[in-house]
Amino acid sequence: MTNHYIDLKNSDCILIMGSNCAENHPIAMKWILRAKDNGATLIHVDPRFTRTSARCDYHVPIRSGTDIAFLGGMIKYIIDNNLIHEEYVKYYTNASFIVSPGFDFNDGVFSGFNPETGKYSKDTWTTEKDENGIPVRDYTLQNPRCVYQMLKKHYDRYTLDVVSSVTGVSKEDLLTVYKAYGATGAPDKAGTECYALGWTHHTVGSQNIRTMAIIQLLLGNMGIAGGGINALRGEPNVQGSTDHAVLYNILPGYLKMPTASIQTLAEYNDKYTTRTSDPMSANWYQNYPKYSVSFLKAVFGETATADNEFGYSWLPKMDDGKHYSIMHCTDQMVAGKMEGFVCWGANVAVSSPNSNKVRKGLEKLKWMVNVNIFDNETASFWKGPGVNPANVDTECFLLPAAPTIEKQGSQANSGRWVQWAYKAANPPGDALSDGDIVMRLMDEIRALYAKEGGAFPTPVLNMKWDYRDGLGRFDAVKCAKQINGHYTRDVVIEDPVKGTREVYPKGELVNGFPKLMADGSTSAGNWLMTGSFDPKGENKMQKRGKDDPTGLGLYLNWSFAWPMNRRIIYNRASCDLNGKPYNPGRNILEWVGDKWVGDVADGGWPPMADQEKGKYPFIMKADGVASLFGPGMVEGPFPEHYEPMEGPLTKHPLSGRRTNPAVTIFKSEFDKWANADEQFPYVCTSYSATEHWCTGFTRWQPWLLEAMPEAYVEISEQLAGELGIKNGERVRVSSVRGTTTCVAMVTKRMTPFQVEGKTVHEVGMPFNYGWRWPEGTKDDATNLLTPAVGCPNTFCPEYKAFMVNITKA
Amino acid sequence: MNGLELVKLIDLSRCTACRGCQIACKQWNNLPASQTNNFGSYQNPPDLEWNTWTLIRFNEIEGQNGKVKWLFRKDGCMHCTDAACVKVCPTQALFYTEFGAVDIDYARCIGCKECITACPFHVPRYDKATNVIYKCNLCYSRLRANQPPACVQSCPTGALQIGARDEMVRKAYQRAEELGNGATVYGDKFVEGTHVVYVLPEAVTVYDNLPEKPEIPAAILVWKDVLKPAGLIAAGAVAGAAFLHYVTHGPKVPTEENNNEKGEI
Amino acid sequence: MKKGMIKATSGFERFVHWCLALSCLLLIITGMGMMYHSLDFIGGMMGGMGNLKTVHNWTGVFFGMALLFAIVMWFREAGIPSFPEDGKWIACAGGYLWHVDKDKMPQVGKYNPGQKLFFLVVAVFGIIMVISGYIMWFPLDFSTGTVRTMFVLHALGFVIILAFFIVHLYLATIGVPGSASAMFTGWVSRAWAKTNHPKWLREMEEKGTLVTYGGEKRSGRA
Repeated sequence: MTNHYIDLKNSDCILIMGSNCAENHPIAMKWILRAKDNGATLIHVDPRFTRTSARCDYHVPIRSGTDIAFLGGMIKYIIDNNLIHEEYVKYYTNASFIVSPGFDFNDGVFSGFNPETGKYSKDTWTTEKDENGIPVRDYTLQNPRCVYQMLKKHYDRYTLDVVSSVTGVSKEDLLTVYKAYGATGAPDKAGTECYALGWTHHTVGSQNIRTMAIIQLLLGNMGIAGGGINALRGEPNVQGSTDHAVLYNILPGYLKMPTASIQTLAEYNDKYTTRTSDPMSANWYQNYPKYSVSFLKAVFGETATADNEFGYSWLPKMDDGKHYSIMHCTDQMVAGKMEGFVCWGANVAVSSPNSNKVRKGLEKLKWMVNVNIFDNETASFWKGPGVNPANVDTECFLLPAAPTIEKQGSQANSGRWVQWAYKAANPPGDALSDGDIVMRLMDEIRALYAKEGGAFPTPVLNMKWDYRDGLGRFDAVKCAKQINGHYTRDVVIEDPVKGTREVYPKGELVNGFPKLMADGSTSAGNWLMTGSFDPKGENKMQKRGKDDPTGLGLYLNWSFAWPMNRRIIYNRASCDLNGKPYNPGRNILEWVGDKWVGDVADGGWPPMADQEKGKYPFIMKADGVASLFGPGMVEGPFPEHYEPMEGPLTKHPLSGRRTNPAVTIFKSEFDKWANADEQFPYVCTSYSATEHWCTGFTRWQPWLLEAMPEAYVEISEQLAGELGIKNGERVRVSSVRGTTTCVAMVTKRMTPFQVEGKTVHEVGMPFNYGWRWPEGTKDDATNLLTPAVGCPNTFCPEYKAFMVNITKA
Repeated sequence: MNGLELVKLIDLSRCTACRGCQIACKQWNNLPASQTNNFGSYQNPPDLEWNTWTLIRFNEIEGQNGKVKWLFRKDGCMHCTDAACVKVCPTQALFYTEFGAVDIDYARCIGCKECITACPFHVPRYDKATNVIYKCNLCYSRLRANQPPACVQSCPTGALQIGARDEMVRKAYQRAEELGNGATVYGDKFVEGTHVVYVLPEAVTVYDNLPEKPEIPAAILVWKDVLKPAGLIAAGAVAGAAFLHYVTHGPKVPTEENNNEKGEI
Repeated sequence: MKKGMIKATSGFERFVHWCLALSCLLLIITGMGMMYHSLDFIGGMMGGMGNLKTVHNWTGVFFGMALLFAIVMWFREAGIPSFPEDGKWIACAGGYLWHVDKDKMPQVGKYNPGQKLFFLVVAVFGIIMVISGYIMWFPLDFSTGTVRTMFVLHALGFVIILAFFIVHLYLATIGVPGSASAMFTGWVSRAWAKTNHPKWLREMEEKGTLVTYGGEKRSGRA
């Protein structure tokens, strides 16, 4: 979230799209309903009428996988009707920049595409700079090559007729949403968007979100109270685990994972340190080396020195151009190229797409370690349906782990609040906290490396490894302090201009990332978390102050929010060029005299109007402004609608390029496709029910199982009528990749779509079920049906749109 | 909350049917789960049970211009001021708490099930194994400790509130007025007022299992208010009449003549 | 026991009568114990209201069986009015309420219309009580409306049976001395029979079915 949960109440219009927040983020709904009480309009755009829709002013059914078309139409509507927040667009975005001459878009493909590799070169996705290296601007926004005009041109094709025909949304509904949301372009209005896996689970997942970011920038909704783009993260601690690098391609604090070709720390820092010649741009990422070096110091401690590049060479490196997502790992397993697999807090035999492929991959492993709080379909794959245990050589281990409430530590919510959670009970039996399991495993591994040497013992033996309390148990506070960071030696900072002299003794905790250094004098496991402790050791994540002077729900004294306890990111954009709030009624920040008052400002520099010391508001961007056009995504600087890999259409309605050109297609025998195939005529989408948690370890909880006992497929009355299926009847759902059974839930809440002149039926299944539990279940995982293909930026799989058939079981 | 007459306000316009209340109730009251099947609905268990004291009922209807509406209603004991269950209970196992709720003393319950028949909301449920009736008691143990009932505590959206009766009823009317479009308040106008009050965004009649005009059944009134006293009155009257007869007419003894006809007696 | 007493009831009849009477009494007591909270001590005496209910329910079963026998046994004699004497008896209220000259009293058979009415009330309401009681015992097997109707019928039956029970008790004991022995020993005095059931006595004598204590069967009138 750029904002935070409580801030949802400040909105005038909430677009819930790609999320079923009432069911999957019930607390979000608390604040959304507060907004409704205050007069906000709530809009839910979703293929299904869900519990969220029931509370919204409008539910607009949309065919799965057509969000960019829907939002692209909104961009066109906003521009055509001049609903933009003009000052904001001109000064806070790169709308006025001039796009480089080489950039082009033709028949669904941007310039720089290499059809052979299926990859884009981003060389032409740039804007022009003057002789001083400063971006060329046209503040009239009239230059036909300026970003604004290029944007207008790109979305000119997204007419109401086209969008309606692609998405299956009626023109009337489209206009209702466009009008309501477009109205938040007024400077004193705020519109926000809530999304979750409904947007990320697509081959165009990242671009779904980017399209919305463009809308929010056009309407001036970023950085303001009641605005922003809000990814609703869930109980799986998606926010916290991402912040701390659960993904293969990042290091903690979203630092980049090095690749093999980047041989030295200097090269690495050089590559990821952004530069600008514009004195008005804060360009925060010029500080990148401070964070990377402090990270290395945290990992390797005393052994990391300037002489050995702080241990940079000890870090694992990715092969260039290679990816290591779970889909890639599965592909390697099936190909017999992976020996061992540690499956920690996951249940890939249910959660990963094309589960048949996953399960086959598990059979080819030599060993597998599962760490979980219950047995599951992955840990027991060797005795699953159709598997003969005698034929499985994989040696399996199941380590019992403690769930959240049986250990203490930090939890990050979607609003980036990192709150300390306390242990409520001891883990049962042999179960241990994840920290303890890691510690014990690593102890053994280190001992083996110390004894036997091995291929490359240095990083394993050199890493700092002292996170134990006096009793030898994992100490979460010690670990959290290591993440926060400390001075590795006495540091004296003298400022001759101001005449100040600050002394930081060795060992003192660093109270904010601006103090981190690239010379090894500071150590910090995750720069974003620096400042989560104060220098005296007070854990700010434990703060529970309820004071809210603005009345806007910032609660600055409740826990710690990264970065720097900032509650709304890019909050300087909520003020005009002079630092006065665009909406005085919702004043989260204001330049008063010589300082910012309100939320923790995005940097203390004066506002832009101060030609001398002022800075642009988007300090994390090299140009200091937000990018309507930019090279961030692999499939283009402007989002383009592409059909899901499996869909009902044979042809893209606008171009010759039906699907995202940049996706990676796996080539195993399990990767089969059935696009616009009459054998699999129905669009299917998958999701999670309120009552269950992800792959359903909640099935072991009798009350939750009682509430949602069996897998089901939601189908419209019309489709059920065509197929002769009655409500509650058992059915078989199949895709070209797999098949499973479940109960048919025939409902008015699903409706057929009119797409490109034909009727398209969509059905939906929760993915919370599997064969392992409850005892005697006949059903298996929904992900037996889904394809292993994903967004080329994140490799988040396309769980939300694929094709199936339904028959009576 | 001690000493106050309380009302639990259920604002259905805020309910997201997350069913936190349903599970929290089971947790606080230690109620086991039943084995259920998906019968084509999100609603499960399908009905209130001895071990399910509150339940979200799901109900799909077609609104204006053919758009679907999905209604959620938290079902459970309404805690009537003039409760049919208390009225019929032969053992006084059902009783009014100081908060105005209706509680049950399991030790006194004999499993006669008369309350099941009497309740206009069809709330009390019988458990064969323990031969006792079960239902919500508005979390008496929690109220005594100045805590809101488990369902209220668990509600994320504020659809459930508890407070002083007058205040809650006032809030309910205020909310219904805010909502407009035929929203109504349900509960304060019958059985002397219930201690659970709904704000219904839709007409009463469209909700499943919600009686439009709940009242103590006439049969129960005839039984308890007419025949019950009548039994004693009739018995007394007849016994009195017999006594009067005895003292005025005297016993009907065989006549002299009959006695002596054969001279045997 | 004096010689010359007339046999009025068989041992089996008396057995059925007392089964019915005592179970009915127990039902009344236990029923009242459930209906009136002031009588909770009745439940207490039985070791709790649960036991009281059990006793009531199973006594009801016993009562039902006894009632069945009683109806089969007495229906012909007590269930069918006989004319014209029953009409006349009713017209003069059996001589219970005001003075009726002896010669104007109708000749009553084995059961007078009052007794017949009592029998019919017990038979009809007894059946109602048994059926409604059964439904109240297993209310979940019937519709709510049915069970609610049963509540009313059961209570109504209680009111009526209790009233008749008291009248019966009075007339069978101190109201009509000499009656009780018919149900204790089975023998009544000739004088009692002559006074209360002259036609019965005469018919028995005419048919020769009269049995007297210590004597032989008499054939015809002496």
